[in-house]
Amino acid sequence: MSERAGMRLTLGTFPVTSIVFGARTSYDGGRLTVDKTAALAAVREDARIVEADLEIATPGESVRIWPVRDVIEPRVKIDGPGVCYPGMCGRDITTVGRGRTHRLAGMGVVEVSSVNWHDSGGDFVETYLDMSGHYGEMYPYAKLQLLCLVVEPDRELGDEARNDAVHKAALAVSDHVAAATRELSPPSTEVFELGAVDPSLPRVVYIWGVHSPQAMSGSPTAFGTATYGLTRLTPAWLLHPNEILDGALTGPYRTAFAMSWTVANNPLLMDLYRRHGRDWNFLGVIALRTEWTTQHEKQLIANQTAKLAAMLGADGAVVTWDAGGNEFIEVIRTIRECEGLGIKTVFLTSEDDATDGAPTMLEPLPEADAIVSTSFFRNRTLGVAPVPPVARVIGLPTKAMNDDLRAGVGAGYERLVPVSGTLPPPWRYDDHYGFNSLSCIE
Amino acid sequence: MTTPLRVAHYINQFFAGIGGEEQAGVGVSFRDGAVGPGRALATAFGDAATVVGTIVCGDNFAAEQPDDAQRAIASHLGDVQPDVLVAGPAFASGRYGLACAHACLTATRLGVPAVTAMHRDNPGATSFRKSVLIVPTGESAMSMPAALEHVTRLATKLGRREPLNPAEVEGYLPQGNRRVWDRGRPGWERALDMLLAKLHGRPFVTEVPYNAPEKVEPARPIADLTRAKIAMITTGGLVRKGNPDRQVSANATRYHRHSVRDLEQLTPEGWEAFHAGYFNHIVNRNPNYILPLSFLRDLEKHGRIGGVHEYMYALPGVSTPVAVATGLGQAIARDLSTAGVDGCLLVAT
Repeated sequence: MSERAGMRLTLGTFPVTSIVFGARTSYDGGRLTVDKTAALAAVREDARIVEADLEIATPGESVRIWPVRDVIEPRVKIDGPGVCYPGMCGRDITTVGRGRTHRLAGMGVVEVSSVNWHDSGGDFVETYLDMSGHYGEMYPYAKLQLLCLVVEPDRELGDEARNDAVHKAALAVSDHVAAATRELSPPSTEVFELGAVDPSLPRVVYIWGVHSPQAMSGSPTAFGTATYGLTRLTPAWLLHPNEILDGALTGPYRTAFAMSWTVANNPLLMDLYRRHGRDWNFLGVIALRTEWTTQHEKQLIANQTAKLAAMLGADGAVVTWDAGGNEFIEVIRTIRECEGLGIKTVFLTSEDDATDGAPTMLEPLPEADAIVSTSFFRNRTLGVAPVPPVARVIGLPTKAMNDDLRAGVGAGYERLVPVSGTLPPPWRYDDHYGFNSLSCIE
Repeated sequence: MTTPLRVAHYINQFFAGIGGEEQAGVGVSFRDGAVGPGRALATAFGDAATVVGTIVCGDNFAAEQPDDAQRAIASHLGDVQPDVLVAGPAFASGRYGLACAHACLTATRLGVPAVTAMHRDNPGATSFRKSVLIVPTGESAMSMPAALEHVTRLATKLGRREPLNPAEVEGYLPQGNRRVWDRGRPGWERALDMLLAKLHGRPFVTEVPYNAPEKVEPARPIADLTRAKIAMITTGGLVRKGNPDRQVSANATRYHRHSVRDLEQLTPEGWEAFHAGYFNHIVNRNPNYILPLSFLRDLEKHGRIGGVHEYMYALPGVSTPVAVATGLGQAIARDLSTAGVDGCLLVAT
């Protein structure tokens, strides 16, 4: 397939091996120096921000970051249309994926704030990150240099404005540090395009389920994982993988594996893309929004997503999702409809509790005959031990707990515990993109 | 060299050469050494084990006089003192498969590890795969050599009291004992390898075999609603305003019971939702959305239903593991049954 859209992207990688605060924001041989005053000034350009500070967390350090809403890899467009992380918080929506983009690899900007996703139901920010120990090592972040923005917006604002303000602030820090690479030549570059390939290669799509917060929050503009900034329930999107490399699919959901950083660094996407022309003809990404509310809608979306894949001429599809519960239905039904249309699927998913031999798929379907398991999604089922105390906390000093400390969900009857002490792991682990080797077996 | 294991072998009348269907009623007998397929079994074991004796039983006898059959099998096992029992293979033969499974259970009760082999759809396998170690075979004795090779490999491990690896590794039928397992390679890599294999029609092993959910038979319809006591249950996380009972918003481990005896309807002043899986504000504005007490009272007044049960039941149906949900459901059902409730309105979200 020729690239009529001219979707050719050069991705320049600047590895970050240390972050320090200094007089001028700059990158030099792996060392990122951050002018804290200038970075925070960029944040404070938004009058909605009332508190903001920056702290650094390094791998192996006895430090805990709480509450973690997102981790962002700094990326900046050097050449070509649009901006990285397009559409988020009012940014430009020009179609991205062409030209040249620089990325600061091996680091993340962490959005640390008390702002909750929305005010409907017990859907709380639950994630904290450790930079050492058994819990920290379960996630890719403990290997990164983390620049943490601890930020609070005006308390008088509504939930959506508060979400927008703190995420915009985190993107401002990301933009500020990424801009340091603007005039530099990247230590390594890689060119990404879906060029013409041997026509006999099997044609594959990546069906990527991303949660929409619309149904849960009651708002079509609630904050969460977004395509060009949109979070509402929409029929499936066809995205060029370069758009994702430029951050067109971004933003966090509830789990530590559903952050902007894990989306931009999704190892399944990267390897699928790099094997284009060798093992298969990669046709593109179908972003499937999940958490439709009725069975009728779920089946319709499954039908239409499979039809889209079939119209693209797909022989195969690899399927992931980033949520839990009823979202499973549209994902597994999409798999069934794909198989019905002759599209061979592989499903990468976590598993539910197997006690008493219960099926670990919410709706087991025999058509889903090729499943890769990333183990149980609950930290409790995984038997993850309580997380020991740390020497330092970045962010809030206390965390609300319910009576059942190990469950850790919900703060309907809040009891505050010190964050520096022993904590239960958050209730969900859920390695959405198969970063780790943990699985299940019987 | 280790001492050869002592293997006892269980087979039916057909494989013992006694006869077919017309001889299926014969009782339990014992023969020294290997008989019929036992000879191939002994060959497959090689130096690792000796088939010291064969227990033979007619399939109908095993099915129709199970106590006598198992008592006799136990007695022979007690005499022989084997290190391990091998039963079958039974292939697709249903009665034989069930008999093999029962023989294995008897051996296990006596402390003798046991393994059998049969087709995965054999009733012996579908009924007992969780409690009996079963090697899958083809439908007919055509698959005998592969089955015996597989059985001897597992029987040798069992006889030596070596721990077995998971079913997926050892190849026996999964026993519903799913556990965490580090596969040594990241998930993304395994997924793309599986995709390539599936695209090219090459063999691959799914990491989550299809496990059909339990089928629940619905209760019979209520014959006369005008005399029926109706209860209300919701998984929508209905709580008293302010959540004084400290219900969680997900991962429920208990349910909450609230009296509605003195209530005509649910009001937003008295009730709200606390549930991590849907837009709670709809219920907060009108709790009757989730349990329509006002409508039930109306039906009660007009004699359309016999009455509304004094208690309603609520919990948040979010991410509750099946085993926990089953337990909660059974407890609620027992409660309702004891209270003489005839039917219930179960409102999900």
